[in-house]
Formats: sequence, structure tokens, C-alpha cells
Amino acid sequence: MKDCNDDVEKDVEKKEITRRTFLKMAAGTGLLAGLTGALAGCADKSPEHAGGKGWLPYQYNVAGNLPAQVRGRVPIDADNPSIVRDDRKCILCGQCLEVCENVESVFGYYSLPVVDETICINCGQCSMACPSGAISERDDTQIVFEALADKNRFVLVQTAPATRVALGEEFGLAPGTWVQGQQVAALRRLGFDAVLDTNFTADLTIMEEATELIKRIKGEVRKPLPQFTSCSPGWIKFCEYFYPELIPNISSCKSPQQMFGALAKTYYAKEKGIDPGNILSVSVMPCTAKKYEARRPEMNASAAYWKRGDLRDVDVVLTTRELARMIKEKQIDFTALPEEGYDRLMGEETGGAVIFGATGGVMEAAARTAYFLIAGQEPPALFLNLTPVRGLAGVKEAAAEIPGVGTLRVAVSHGMANGRKILDAVREGRAPWHFVEFMTCPGGCIAGGGQPRTAVPPTDAVREQRLAALYKADASLPKRKSHENAEVAALYRNFLEHPMSELAEELLHTEYHSRADKLKRLFAKVV
Amino acid sequence: MTRNMGALVDITKCIGCESCVVACRLYNGLEPGQDEEYGTARDGNAELAPNKWTVVRSCRTEKNGKQIRRFVKQQCFHCLEPACASACFAKALQKTPAGPVVYNEKLCVGCRYCMIACPFGILRFEWDKPFPRVLKCQMCLGRVTDGQMPACAAACPTGAITFGDRDKMVEEAKNRLAANPDLYTGQIYGLKDAGGTSWLYISDAPFEQLGFRTDVPQKPIPEYTWQVLRWTPFIFVGWGALLTGMYLYTKRRAGVHEEEEMYAAVDDDDGK
Repeated sequence: MKDCNDDVEKDVEKKEITRRTFLKMAAGTGLLAGLTGALAGCADKSPEHAGGKGWLPYQYNVAGNLPAQVRGRVPIDADNPSIVRDDRKCILCGQCLEVCENVESVFGYYSLPVVDETICINCGQCSMACPSGAISERDDTQIVFEALADKNRFVLVQTAPATRVALGEEFGLAPGTWVQGQQVAALRRLGFDAVLDTNFTADLTIMEEATELIKRIKGEVRKPLPQFTSCSPGWIKFCEYFYPELIPNISSCKSPQQMFGALAKTYYAKEKGIDPGNILSVSVMPCTAKKYEARRPEMNASAAYWKRGDLRDVDVVLTTRELARMIKEKQIDFTALPEEGYDRLMGEETGGAVIFGATGGVMEAAARTAYFLIAGQEPPALFLNLTPVRGLAGVKEAAAEIPGVGTLRVAVSHGMANGRKILDAVREGRAPWHFVEFMTCPGGCIAGGGQPRTAVPPTDAVREQRLAALYKADASLPKRKSHENAEVAALYRNFLEHPMSELAEELLHTEYHSRADKLKRLFAKVV
Repeated sequence: MTRNMGALVDITKCIGCESCVVACRLYNGLEPGQDEEYGTARDGNAELAPNKWTVVRSCRTEKNGKQIRRFVKQQCFHCLEPACASACFAKALQKTPAGPVVYNEKLCVGCRYCMIACPFGILRFEWDKPFPRVLKCQMCLGRVTDGQMPACAAACPTGAITFGDRDKMVEEAKNRLAANPDLYTGQIYGLKDAGGTSWLYISDAPFEQLGFRTDVPQKPIPEYTWQVLRWTPFIFVGWGALLTGMYLYTKRRAGVHEEEEMYAAVDDDDGK
């Protein structure tokens, strides 16, 4: 009889390899191999790296682009009217910090924590020192282009003295090439309705400021000596932050740019029969702080004059670099332009105005006219070549004899770190001077924050060339003293009456305010 | 390196220059997106992003009746017991012995549990990528294990960020609070928040006014889930044992029943 167990034994003996069993074996091996492979791939290939015997994601073995030595940078607010920064270009070189701390003595001269404002005097020297061009001026060219295309708007422009010895550098010319005529021609071809000269109001500033100085010396105006110049808006803001107790020393005169703006929408508009509301008042400046100055709330004398709250004396400020970009955008061949002259009424200059762009230039121009106003006679040759106030020394002093007064002592500084030396002396009561010129930028306006970046950082060689060009132009002009400006004389005759008249005070003079509540100042920087 | 490194951020010293933001971007090779502005401090609008591992947020508040503005550097806190690492079942986020909580994109599956777990809401997901990662500050692990400080701390011009042993940073914070009791609020943020973080903050304005989350638990986040999860092996073994026991019992009962049936007397109608 068949035992059921027999069948089982037979099957166990005859263990043959069928197709099915073979495939099963192959699959099993493959699975095993795959599993092993996958697990092996997870093994740590670099055992002794960062993290030790642990595991480290591969991508963090790469050091990235961090430079070998990084240095911090200056803080710039998003709403800073003068400068902007493109963080994609910043390489953390720290040059902006160097300049702000050591040349301008702003960064590090206040204790932390901050209050609510970023302490910045808008001078733009950081943008001149930035090697990658991350920091640059705020671009206002589009506003001007739109206004130029608008037929209903009367767009007038004023040009600072310092731009005419530097604009050519953007077109391949040597530093210091005199391009006054080509600049005027370029502005006309861009479509400006009137091309006028800030030098006109520079001469006017001298008339007002020399008059004020004489009044202070004689005691007719109860304000302290020494009198400080007031044409550098970075310096004004610096004084408001760090030396507010010396604000009474600052001349009440506005800067030439702002005097011009006030007159453009009053005197010029009246004489030419233009509605001041249609005027766009533009300026071309070597300076980024002028963008901030134009927005200072009190810079709207024309609004008070016409009783129209919407008027601003200067609407848009363009730096020399922006003007160069505009000229290039319109494909104007700058070097091939003919030399043209400024428009009349506010376009005349004297040598005294031209040298405003130089450190010591304001002082020299003021000295020439102060001598004339006090002594009643033209100044001697010394005043037309006042070498003690010329040049790049940080602090310069001079003394000159003026008949009827005695010795006029003056001082000049450029770069606010140098300015502090004079300010500390004044604070401590050991200042022998009657009149002090302060410039924010080393070298004066010719090396301002808005000038072409011919050398980064700016070099004294380039400064010397631009300075030489200004003094050369001064020496070759027929009129070298501000009081000889015929258009200025006409302005007084027909409109203002005389220096520091009531109308002059309203339009051409201003007040300053302490910013001591915005920081806790230090007289020596925090290390 | 086996000591947990930490950083102390002194908010009174921050001027909002964002050198730290640029240094982080340079070291980690983070690229700005298209149409993205990479400009200066945006008055509190700066947001962490997959390509922005640290930002500086500016907050306006009041102190002694005066308007003040404070700048707060925001980045991963590198908690001592990170919730993100605990939530990640793929072990893509791990706490290293040196302190940094690091992310491995090769292990990540993109589930975003870590984003839900983080009490500070730091992690940022790459929504627009087909193979998205979830990115955050790595505390420059390569530099930290090499004995250097992270890139952000190296770039700071005012010394607002100090770096070293976490214990030493706590001590430094306490020293500063004691030396200037009128200036600081007296609180060290990150000392116990989320069980302690590697990045500590001291400030002269209350932390709620500066955008910090002050309702974060003072004990480590994983501790909450640990209350339940620690029973897992016991439940696993215990339940298995219980089920095995029941199985054996029921099998025995069934076997007994079968046998009884087999040997049970056959109830025959015939009675034979």
C-alpha cells in the first residue's frame, strides 16, 4: 500500500533546479547586492574632517568666497538721500569704514547704543573709497530726463565750480582739464532751458558773508567770532551732530547752491516772466551731501516768497558722475563739443567764485572782498595769490593786514578729522582766528563725493591737478574779485537792495539746529 | 572639539551695517534671486529666505519716552536640544558636538516636519525648486571646528557678536548685565528658551518689542514628545509579548478543543 510519507520523501530527494527556483535565486542575490551597495554609499568617506568622526554634509567642506580678512562697513540707511549701496558688490574690505572713521571722524565718535538715526553726514567719501563701486550716489537722472521731455516745464540748471575741472575725466581727458564751455554745450544739448552758473551765487555768497564777517567784527551783529563758513552741507551736519554749541559761529549764509535755488524761482522767474511752479531747479554738483541739503525742510525760501507751499528751492541735485552718465546715455560726443557760454542774468563768474572748489578758495575769495569792503580800496597782489591758505595741508593758517582793522587771522581745514582740531580749539577758547573755512572733503569740493572716480581711493596727485586748474583759471580771468561781478551788482540794484537786506535775509540766509539728541557724542573715538 | 560653542549678540552694539549678512552670503555662496534687491537695511522688512541665512531686522520702539531704533540679527539659534533634529526621521538635521545644527540635503525628503517643529520659525523651504531643500544658518561648521569664529562674527565692526564656549558666553552676558544694570533689561534670551540655545542675546529694550518670541517654552521641545516616545520600546516589546501570549493561549485552547472533539464520544442515533 502506498504510504503518504513516501511521496514527501521522494520530493525531498529530488531537489531539482527549475526555472522558477533559478529566478528566485537570482532575484535574491540581486536584492542583497543592491542593498549592500546602497548601504555602502552611506558610509562616511571622510572620517577625519570637521565634526571629527561624525558625519558632515559635503557642501560645507567648501570655504566659499569669504576673503581672508574681512572688515566691517559703514551703516547706510535705506532712505539716505545721497548714497545707496549694492550689497552684491560689497567685498567687506572695510575702506568705507576707514574713511568715515579716520578722515571724516564720524564713525566711532558716538557711543553705542544708537538712538534712532544712522549717524551720517552724507559726504560720500565712502563711495569714493569703495573699490568695487558698491556704494554710489543715489541716481536722480530719470527725474531730470522726464522733466526735460516735458515741454511744459522750464528746466534750469546751475553748475558748481568744481565740476568743470573734473567732468572731462569721465570722457578720457586728463584730471584738471578745463571743460567749462563743453559742459555748458552738453547741458544745452541735453535740453536744459537755461544753463546758469553757481559761480554767480558763489560771488553773491562772498558779498553776504564778508558783510556778515565785518558786522561781527565790528559788533553790529551779536554773534561770536570766529565766523565759520557754511557752504559745505556735510560740515554743517557734522557741526549740528558733534559741536552744536558752536552753531552760533556758523555764518547764516546759505551755500551757493541754495542761494541760487532761492533766486531761481524768485528773481529769475520774475525777470523772465516764468511761473515758478513750472520751474524744475536742477544743480550739477561734485557733492553727494548737496542731495541731502536740497531736502532740508527750511530750504524753501521761494515757497515763503510766493506763499506757495509746494515750491522747493532746488528740486534735483545731480552729481558730476550722473551728468556724465546722462551725456553718455544721449550719446553726445563730449570731447568734440564747442565751448559755449552760460546764459545771462545768473551766469557771470569771477576768479573768486572759481576757486570756491578748492580748499582755501572760499577763504581767499572772502579775504579779497573783505579787504575791499573794509578798506574801501582794491586788495594788494598778496590777496590774489594767498598761498598760506592754498594746498593740501590739513590745517592752514594765515594772517593778513587790512587797513582800518588790523590783522585778520584766518584758518582753513579740509576733512572733518582736521576740522576737529580747529573746533576743539574754539571750544576750549584758544582760537585766535576771525574767520575759519571748513570743507568736509579732503582737497575741497574738487574731491567731493560726487566727482569722477579717476583714482580709487582719491589721490593727492589728482587733487593737485584739479586744484591747479582752478587757480590757473582764476589767474586768467579778467575779473578776480567777487565784488566786481556785474550781474551780482545788478541783482542788488534791482532786487535785493544791499547785502543782508531784509529780502536778502529771507532768501539767502538760514538757521541751523542742534542734532545732539540723535547721538551721544565722543571727542575721542571708541577703539 | 567637543565643547558646545556659542555666540553672544549684544543688541546695544549693533548699528545695522549688515556686514554679517554680506559675510554669510560670501562664505556660504548664497546667490541673490532674480529681481531681488540686495540693498541696505530695510527697516524691519528683511526676511530669512533659502538664500538669506541671516538678516538684520530693524525695530522702532520707545525707551524713556524717546523714539529708538534697534537692530536685531536673526538666524538659526542652534538649540542645545533642537526640535528640528528631533522631528526629522531621516536624520537630515543633526546637532554636532561643536554646537552647530547642520543639514544634509542628501538625506532630506522634503517633508517639512522640521519647519513645524522649530519654535522660532527659522527654517526656510525652497518652494520654487523641483528638488527643494530646507535651509538655515549652519554656524559655519567648517570654520567653527577649525577654531575660527563664524563669518558673521568675524565681520562685525562694533564687536556686537562675541563667539566662544557657550558657558563662557553665558558668563560674559551675566558680567555685562551686572556691569550695566541701568542699560540692559536683565534678561538673557536663549539662556533657557527652548531648553537653551547656542545663540544668546542681551538688549536694552524688552525682547517682545524687538520681535523675539517670548512665549517659547523654557524646556527643550523634544522633551514634550519624549514623555510619550520613551514608552515605545516597552510598548513594542510588551504588546508583542501580550499578543504572543494570547496567540499561544488561543492556539492551545483550539488544540485542546480539537483533541477533545477527536476523542469525543460519537453520538450515534443507532447506539452501536
